[in-house]
Amino acid sequence: MENVKEFIIDYIQREYDIPDDVDILNLNYVEEGYIDSLGLIQFIAVIEDEFGITFTDEDLESEDIKVVGKMAELIASKMEGAAE
Amino acid sequence: MRSRLASMFYANAQMNPDKLAIWCDGKTATYKEMADLVSRYSNLLLRQGAAYGDHIAIPMNNSIESVALFFSAADLGICVVPLNPSLPLEAIKAAMAAGDIKHVIARRAFFADCEKSGGLDIPGFAICLDKEYPGTVPFEKINEMPVERPEIDHDVDGSESLILTMTSGSTGTPKPIDISQDNKYERSMAHIRVYKITQDDKILAATPLYHSLAERLVILPLILGATSILLPRFTPAIWLKCVEEQKPTFTIAVSAQLAQILELLKQPDAPKITSFRSIVSSSALLEASVKYELIDLLKCEFHEMYGTSEVSTVTDICFQETKNKQNSVGKPFDEAEIRILRDESESDFDTDCAPGEVGEIAVKSKLQCKGYYKQEAMMNAAMFGDYFRTGDLGYLDEDGYLYFAGRKKELIITGAINVYPHDIDVVVGRLPEVEECAAFAYPDDRLGEVVALAVVPKEDQEINLRALKTYCARNLADFQQPHKIFIVDKLPKNTMGKLQRMAILDYVRENGLDQ
Repeated sequence: MENVKEFIIDYIQREYDIPDDVDILNLNYVEEGYIDSLGLIQFIAVIEDEFGITFTDEDLESEDIKVVGKMAELIASKMEGAAE
Repeated sequence: MRSRLASMFYANAQMNPDKLAIWCDGKTATYKEMADLVSRYSNLLLRQGAAYGDHIAIPMNNSIESVALFFSAADLGICVVPLNPSLPLEAIKAAMAAGDIKHVIARRAFFADCEKSGGLDIPGFAICLDKEYPGTVPFEKINEMPVERPEIDHDVDGSESLILTMTSGSTGTPKPIDISQDNKYERSMAHIRVYKITQDDKILAATPLYHSLAERLVILPLILGATSILLPRFTPAIWLKCVEEQKPTFTIAVSAQLAQILELLKQPDAPKITSFRSIVSSSALLEASVKYELIDLLKCEFHEMYGTSEVSTVTDICFQETKNKQNSVGKPFDEAEIRILRDESESDFDTDCAPGEVGEIAVKSKLQCKGYYKQEAMMNAAMFGDYFRTGDLGYLDEDGYLYFAGRKKELIITGAINVYPHDIDVVVGRLPEVEECAAFAYPDDRLGEVVALAVVPKEDQEINLRALKTYCARNLADFQQPHKIFIVDKLPKNTMGKLQRMAILDYVRENGLDQ
């Protein structure tokens, strides 16, 4: 789980540092402009490749995937599902 | 002889050391602090081996350090090549090759990506902006550098290239627009005069720094002695929060941003924005209703401008002063002259369009760039005598006001009749259920091309195709009727939010809508 979080946090800081005082797990990185809607599509593809998972249409429509902590949880649960 | 741009900035720092020079993303620098940063940056570059005339590429984000780099580069006679960091690596490498890059300044992620794809082949140094990366110099070394403005062993007379702006996106040959230090100076002075900008102004830049608009908006205040407010990233909410807190007085925004900002300003709990004395809309003509509502809410002078990166701003119009020219983009700056060229005019000099007749907008301007870097043939092909052919269509009225009528390449020719897609966009865009729309050329065996239309519905709204066709039938000429209508979730745009009309056909096909 920690490496998933780290991967996400690293990726969204490709262009900008996230200030230290930000509650990073609850950060909506799309609303805060770290990744725009076009970039989100690329980000999803990168995550699918990196962790060998697939997002459903329902996942992609959910606001949760735009929040760092919730995205990490979703990825982790999919990885567990794949490992079983 | 030292750089005029850098010297003007240093003079301001000496006169008003404690004045706020720049704000970005919660960080600030006074003129003294900014001058120290610029000097340290210059010293860092010199110690790494940077020399007069070198080109430095930087996948650039909006930050105080990025702005400092422009002034260090000016002071040393170095050229900065700002790149869009979200471009695919392949496109960045193509741009670097086209720009004769010697050194690179980038973030870790960029160097890691390069390593994955076979490494980065540059003759000079690499500086890593965030933390450390093997084979690069950490930017943090800047803190060890002296704060004295370094002596240099080469005159900087203003003819040096300061910025190469790459105009193409992820495909195609990069077209590096070569902007000299004198270009930047002249352009800044023209804007200061036209928009009556003073040292008391706080100037907001809300577009990416790898584009000429934001570069202009950060360089201008610092050579004038005003204050620069640099938005780190654009979302309407970040813009509004920044404006509420920093109270900028002047900005040039792209029209697509203003439309989004308006939506937010209309919310019942939106803050009252009263700091602007003047706002300029650029990039594409703003829908009249958006303009009226913005003026009502922001209560400031409202301008629209027309220009290109090659020739800078060409025309300006103040909405409140010229109420009878509502759809015009204005009259030329003193530095610019406009001709409207008829087609097939390469060899014939007597081909200016009559007032009201649409042709290609060609501009002769003292603010014109040096050219396309090492692509002289491409620049020559774009010239008609002393006039730069913009590739945009428009017309002049009898009073010399310019009207924009779309991109030349975007023209739809259906059965030998010219259709200006912008005309269709405006009509269909008036429907309440339409968020935005764009007409484009669709290949057709019989007519060569037919008009197609891509429509983005407003959130939670549906487009009734039958009703839309009836509406078009009532409100458009027969040759303007869309033969095909595609409902899409968005329109392809570049990073500045400018519609990429030529890419719509590919977009609908890629998304399986063209069946």
